[in-house]
Amino acid sequence: MKEKESVIKVLDPRTCLMLLIFANLITFFQSSIWIEVGWICFLGCIMLFMGQYRMAVKWIFTYGFILLLQYFLLPAAPKAITTAFTLLVNYSRRMFPCLMAGAFMIKVISLRQFILAMRKMRIPQNLIIPISVTIRYFPAIKEEVHYIRDAIKLRNIRSADKLEAIIVPLMISATATAEELSAAAVTRGIENPIRKTSVTEIKFRLPDYLYGFIGLLFTAGAFVIK
Amino acid sequence: MAQSSGKGSLKGKDLITIGIFSAIYFVINFIFMLMGGLHPMMWILMPGFIALLTGIPFMLMCSKVQKMGAVILMGTITGLIYFVTGMFTVVILVTFAASCILGEAVRSLSGYSTFKGNLLAFICFSLGMTGSPLPIWLMHDKFISQISEQGMPAEYITTLEKLSSPAMLLVLFLAPVIGAIAGSLISKKMFQKHFIKAGIV
Amino acid sequence: MVSIENISFGYENKEKILKNINLDIKQGECILLCGESGCGKTTVTKLINGLIPHFCEKHNLEGKVFLSGRHVAGTELYELAKSVGSVFQNPKSQFFNLDTDSELSFGMENEGMPPEEMKKRLKDTIEKLQLKKLLGRNIFSLSGGEKQTLAFASVYAMNPAVYVLDEPTANLDTQAIERLRKQIGILKREGHTVIVAEHRLYFLYDCIDRAFYLKNGKILCVFSKEEFHKLTDDARISMGLRSIQQAEVTLPQALPGGRRDGLSAEELSCGYKKAPPVFGKLSFSAIPGEILAITGYNGIGKTTLIRCLCGLVRERDGKVFLEGKEMSARSRRKQSFLVMQDVNHQLFSDSVLEECKMAGREHTEEQIRCVLEKLGLLPFLEQHPMALSGGQKQRLAIATAILSGKKILIFDEPTSGLDYVNMRAVSEVIRQLADANHIILVVTHDREFMQCACDRVLEIK
Repeated sequence: MKEKESVIKVLDPRTCLMLLIFANLITFFQSSIWIEVGWICFLGCIMLFMGQYRMAVKWIFTYGFILLLQYFLLPAAPKAITTAFTLLVNYSRRMFPCLMAGAFMIKVISLRQFILAMRKMRIPQNLIIPISVTIRYFPAIKEEVHYIRDAIKLRNIRSADKLEAIIVPLMISATATAEELSAAAVTRGIENPIRKTSVTEIKFRLPDYLYGFIGLLFTAGAFVIK
Repeated sequence: MAQSSGKGSLKGKDLITIGIFSAIYFVINFIFMLMGGLHPMMWILMPGFIALLTGIPFMLMCSKVQKMGAVILMGTITGLIYFVTGMFTVVILVTFAASCILGEAVRSLSGYSTFKGNLLAFICFSLGMTGSPLPIWLMHDKFISQISEQGMPAEYITTLEKLSSPAMLLVLFLAPVIGAIAGSLISKKMFQKHFIKAGIV
Repeated sequence: MVSIENISFGYENKEKILKNINLDIKQGECILLCGESGCGKTTVTKLINGLIPHFCEKHNLEGKVFLSGRHVAGTELYELAKSVGSVFQNPKSQFFNLDTDSELSFGMENEGMPPEEMKKRLKDTIEKLQLKKLLGRNIFSLSGGEKQTLAFASVYAMNPAVYVLDEPTANLDTQAIERLRKQIGILKREGHTVIVAEHRLYFLYDCIDRAFYLKNGKILCVFSKEEFHKLTDDARISMGLRSIQQAEVTLPQALPGGRRDGLSAEELSCGYKKAPPVFGKLSFSAIPGEILAITGYNGIGKTTLIRCLCGLVRERDGKVFLEGKEMSARSRRKQSFLVMQDVNHQLFSDSVLEECKMAGREHTEEQIRCVLEKLGLLPFLEQHPMALSGGQKQRLAIATAILSGKKILIFDEPTSGLDYVNMRAVSEVIRQLADANHIILVVTHDREFMQCACDRVLEIK
């Protein structure tokens, strides 16, 4: 039983990437709104199947709300509000298929799986290494900024100098980290040109084929139905 | 410190340095991307603001990695993360790729180490973000017809027409150029005031 | 196993760091490299793990280093990585992934090891180093000690013959140091060669086979284990080494809360957002002229406590008084200063002088010079703060606190990574500040320092 459940709930990162590409194409073709609505429902269903219930509800409701805004609320709203928001609302509705697919991917795919997928797709190490460092460094930036802000609060720094006071230590610590992290990485063989292996495997399973096929249908539909 | 100019392929240390500065670049970029949602004008000026504030991480990366590929990698990383989170569409991917290749070419021609060369490369690189608001112009007709169907008031449509005028298109492209020049000058000042004195470059 | 032959090393246009070094290390030996800061012991570790000459540029290197018969300078770093594993000082900058599982297999994946063997090694590593608690976690949620254990485990999984540890305890608490001691024990039992460059020596008391004492880039003497154990305190101190045995702390307890002549915390508790309080109902006093040490295991809430006392986080419950007056978080921020463990975060200006002017605009340059004179920073007036040494940066941060007229000074791990001489220097500065009527709190794990520099201790449980 448990075995079965896990098969459905595991997705190959490459499937998610594929869904993202489909989402982008659908957005690009700018076809009928119904394809878009269908796509959102499709993504919502995948979220449900993967056990991301709250996420599915949240995203579908937000989409509904944006539709409501665009077609009913904004046309009736005061001019100032309309000017400021129409473009935003319209654009975010258009971006929605991509945003939703992206949010889903971030939720269910770990950095590790993503790296594995990139390796499997034969993306060169020269790209995989810096991109994994970038993602790993995001939380570090948050930590650093947190410390620096603490330090600023305990000193009286003029508001005009605050930006400099954050940026300079941040840059200096980034430089130091680059140095230390590189030393740690090269002594653990990161420069080894050999093909990297992995403990865990990723592979396409039934849901991957199914979602991929449906996604393809939507994309074809978006291309055909103008 | 590794500052061999222009020679050899990227090593582990170069790749890690690029990764770290790309993270800082991305964070600043992302903050302005979000702010761009506040008002259409903010959105159009966004590439300019980003250029203004990302000069320091870009220039630091350039001074640390004086080799082929740094700019393209920074661009690819930014593009890929935006793509994976669903925030990049086809238009910006195209402009972004073009600007990175251009930036890389400029660096390669200028020998990687001169301020002027890096400045020019940074201008090219910064122009990539113009792809984000560009659909306002590219899809102009479709957009206008669509919102008149929605029954938007005529006044609104004229405001929008103004916003998507050729003059504004010029603003869109000029903003990152000015931003990049100002950003580079700021970073030059920071180099002299802090980074060189502190011994990190 | 490792042999260093006639090595001299220096960076371009600078004084030589190592002068004519020769040493031979046999398989299975545990070697300690000790000496004052800047004596060249870290450089020796870099010669062995190959960071010199592969990773550093613009240097002059004479002589040869052999590792398991291979010439280090002539072998690629990734080949060396299979036979020598390195653990460094800073736990924050040694990991490459976001989750612990990936980090464990990182080195093996780089080697291209077959998955089956990798699984076996992983299982082995997890069992031997007792890592169950660390599995499946976000690395950013780990404490410094746990990060260091993970770095060690990731190297251990690669199963190198030689281990090089460069000041591995600089940022660790007592518990984590104890764990590291056991890990080194495991390495020894398995017949690995271990080379440790360290200031803190007590945890290596039983492990080491030989100790090399370096000074100014030369090996001055080599001790056998017995000779090292027989070192008298006087001899050790004259060599600038820290205690070779764990110091006993015999300080009296912190004063109870309620004193009206200093800082008093009463029934203080604190926490983040909706999470349960990190610590609860803490009461104690700290009075001017006395130095209060705050200690306790990692993750017990020391950092939260000092952030709360500085006014960086609001208390959830309880009160803080200064000289009998209740203080809000805001007024605490005005009265107190925190010298952070990583002082790099709190220096903002482009010269020592500017940094001081920034802190106290109402002071004349004469007054600033006077403060800097006392802290031994006067010769560096025009230097960039980031170009100073670690100890000097610390003292500069103290100078800014004095100049901005702060009454309460809190130090977070001021002795991490310091040698004996610098540790004594920090104690003296802190004593001077206490004598000048400041209220001083020091968060520290360093028992030797606590015993020689502090007056009372507050242990958080």
